[in-house]
Amino acid sequence: MRTARNIGYILGLPVLLVLVWWVSTLGSVNFFVPKPADLVETFGEVWFGDRFFSDVLPSLGRLVVGVAVAILIGVVGGVLIGSVRWLRSLLEPTLEFFRAIPPPVLVPVLMLLMGITDSMKVMVIISGCVWPVLLNTIEGVRAVDPVLSDSAHTYGISGWARVRYLVLPSASPQIMAGVRQSLSLGLILMVISEMFASSSGLGFTIVQFQRSFAIPEMWSGIVVLGLLGVAMSFIFQWAERNILRWYHGQKEVENAA
Amino acid sequence: MQPDPTQPNTEATLSVRGLKKVYQTDGGDVEAVRNLTFDLRAGELACLVGPSGSGKTTLLKCISGLMAPTEGEVLLDGKRVTGPPKKMAVVFQEYGRSLFPWMRVRDNVELPLKNQGVPKGERDRLVDDALEAVGLSHVPRSYPWQLSGGMQQRVAIARAIAYQPEVLLMDEPFAAVDAQTRADLEDLIRVVWKKLGVTVLFVTHDIDESVYLGERVIILSSSPTVIQEDIQIDLPADRDQLNTRSLPRFTELRHHVYEQIQLAKKGHRPAAASAGETPVKGQRAG
Repeated sequence: MRTARNIGYILGLPVLLVLVWWVSTLGSVNFFVPKPADLVETFGEVWFGDRFFSDVLPSLGRLVVGVAVAILIGVVGGVLIGSVRWLRSLLEPTLEFFRAIPPPVLVPVLMLLMGITDSMKVMVIISGCVWPVLLNTIEGVRAVDPVLSDSAHTYGISGWARVRYLVLPSASPQIMAGVRQSLSLGLILMVISEMFASSSGLGFTIVQFQRSFAIPEMWSGIVVLGLLGVAMSFIFQWAERNILRWYHGQKEVENAA
Repeated sequence: MQPDPTQPNTEATLSVRGLKKVYQTDGGDVEAVRNLTFDLRAGELACLVGPSGSGKTTLLKCISGLMAPTEGEVLLDGKRVTGPPKKMAVVFQEYGRSLFPWMRVRDNVELPLKNQGVPKGERDRLVDDALEAVGLSHVPRSYPWQLSGGMQQRVAIARAIAYQPEVLLMDEPFAAVDAQTRADLEDLIRVVWKKLGVTVLFVTHDIDESVYLGERVIILSSSPTVIQEDIQIDLPADRDQLNTRSLPRFTELRHHVYEQIQLAKKGHRPAAASAGETPVKGQRAG
């Protein structure tokens, strides 16, 4: 019963929107706005075939690798910078500078340096996604409770054990907030990195359809991106619930008190 | 006043010699602790009581090796304390902030042992015993924040016990729990202390608590801190909340400690700052 209601909540608005779309395009002949039925048909034709392997999977692969590497760099770098005071003083102004650079402007530069390769595209994704994770991790590491830190210290928990049992879990709420931002950034950068000069990928395909006036195909590509975003958000929420169960529980108790 | 140059007492488990702590702040130096010297024998249960702001927490941080004293030293079994020693455990006042909220009760108690590389079998036994001793065998799978404040502090005590320290430091551990829980926890400390034969230094601002719990009460002056008086508590070893607290001797001792604290608050300072001496009454400048 509860699951049914939840599913109802999730699907309610999309169903309504499709209905509105269907009604408003009844009898319409606008070339740029396809009818729902046409789009569904095109969607199947376009994406459940070779294109899935030649465009969707490579794009996804680059996205996953890029975001994963960005998270790794962000967390490792953040723990280091957050723990070592002189390193923080040394790096923070410079980090602000790099963070302020919009990653898309790096595409032409990286293209020149690395060529039009997979690694160039992954690099674009990393260069954008690393910042939210890095800066959030630094903040999280700095905010470790001093009493908790003293407790760990008196029990001889230091070095790697300190990072593993104290610093990382304690910073995990902030780290996850950074990861969430990185995921949406990653999707954007994945598309952008494929729009400039590329011969495959979701971004490339969508631009290609647009230029050849394959309008329903173009729309179907945008739907794929949207669905991808939704899928990523669900995976993230599931992971977050599991990793931060203690955090949400503690917050609930605090709010109830 | 110069730090006491006397040799450390070789029988003492914990020896604080001429301890002085000055904080350097933007607004100038603040002398939190001026000159403290005292010894704890093995297996002693001493309470450290003083007016608020008398540098109790500073002193405890210096003893536990979390903070370096400006002058003087702390010796544990004759060895100078430079960082948190293996044979010492600390229970803090803020129970909610001293347990790992991402670990279940059992994992919290087990972590220090795991970190020391204690084998699994022995670890399990120590954790079980410790949880049993504080009366928490039934909640090992709970998270600390699911428990009441008193129970959380029990977990912190269990963690300290399982660690098998020689010296147990407690920094106003019951200041943040309600009065009834507090009475229970006081009795728990007496029981644990007797069972394990551990040396306990219990810091508190509560005069009744210090007299009820301690075998000895060390009274601190107001800041900059010296020892106001060091008295033995000659109450029977078996104490309980009802009877002990209604003994005439308890009232006398409580009265005496209370008087000393009031004097300390007014700025009265003993002429001699070393431990164990009968303080000479008299006003001293500064």
